[in-house]
Amino acid sequence: MLDCDEVMERLYQFLDRELSEAELAEVRAHLDACPPCRDRFTFEQNVLRRVGTCCRQLSAPPSLVEKVRRMCDQ
Amino acid sequence: MNQDQSATSRSELQEEALSHIDALYRTAYRMTGNAMDAEDLVQETYLRAFRSLHQFRPGTNLRAWLFKILTNAFINDYRKRSRRPRSTSLDNVEDYYLYSHLIDSGIQPASSRPEDEVLANIPDEAVIAALDSLPDEFRQVVLLADVEGFSYREIADIMSTPVGTVMSRLHRARRRLQSAILQAYTAAPCSVGSDGDACDARLR
Ligand SMILES: [Zn+2]
Repeated sequence: MLDCDEVMERLYQFLDRELSEAELAEVRAHLDACPPCRDRFTFEQNVLRRVGTCCRQLSAPPSLVEKVRRMCDQ
Repeated sequence: MNQDQSATSRSELQEEALSHIDALYRTAYRMTGNAMDAEDLVQETYLRAFRSLHQFRPGTNLRAWLFKILTNAFINDYRKRSRRPRSTSLDNVEDYYLYSHLIDSGIQPASSRPEDEVLANIPDEAVIAALDSLPDEFRQVVLLADVEGFSYREIADIMSTPVGTVMSRLHRARRRLQSAILQAYTAAPCSVGSDGDACDARLR
């Protein structure tokens, strides 16, 4: 089984869904058995999600959408 | 392929490209730092995309293709004529994890997971300001991964860098972002961990 340091090394790849099925299972097994790492992963995930939701509040102004639409073939 | 077919797929592609305008705009806004330059950059992106639409291979990722065009336009066009001071100091700032800092600061637990409360109490503006303070390459990798949800492979293609570079850059960028968030947070009158009692109200 992976130890805490090895699991931390895989933190972002885990959260980014960039691990193979086998690696994913190893990390999950550790997290199921280790509350501190689980808390840590949850916190990191919340930070990343927070950045995402903050930035996605912005949308293109209607005038820009109209300009680009006019660039399309008729 | 007859004329009608290619005309149809071309207008379909344009329609699909247009559906990504919000994502391109919010990325352009965070990269340039203002609405006017963001609009110019997005227009330039669509201009280039529509001009080279015949080079786009149907079935591949149109969204990633548009972001690659945006990135190239930003680097080759925008940044060269920009007077915006670039933050390029990759070193001399300590990188640390927000989590470790919060845990080490010995916050009085108001719940079983006090660090989540701290995060919830950080205003959106502080998160955005922290992101804006990152060097361009760091900011962009965070935008592509955490805001737009691109995979490492897609980001590598968009930024024309190896996947390994994307991973290390993303890792450093996220740590830098966390320390910047904490700095923005502690810049407020009451700081985390410096005086536990005085901060309790903020942390709850
Ligand atoms: Zn552990």
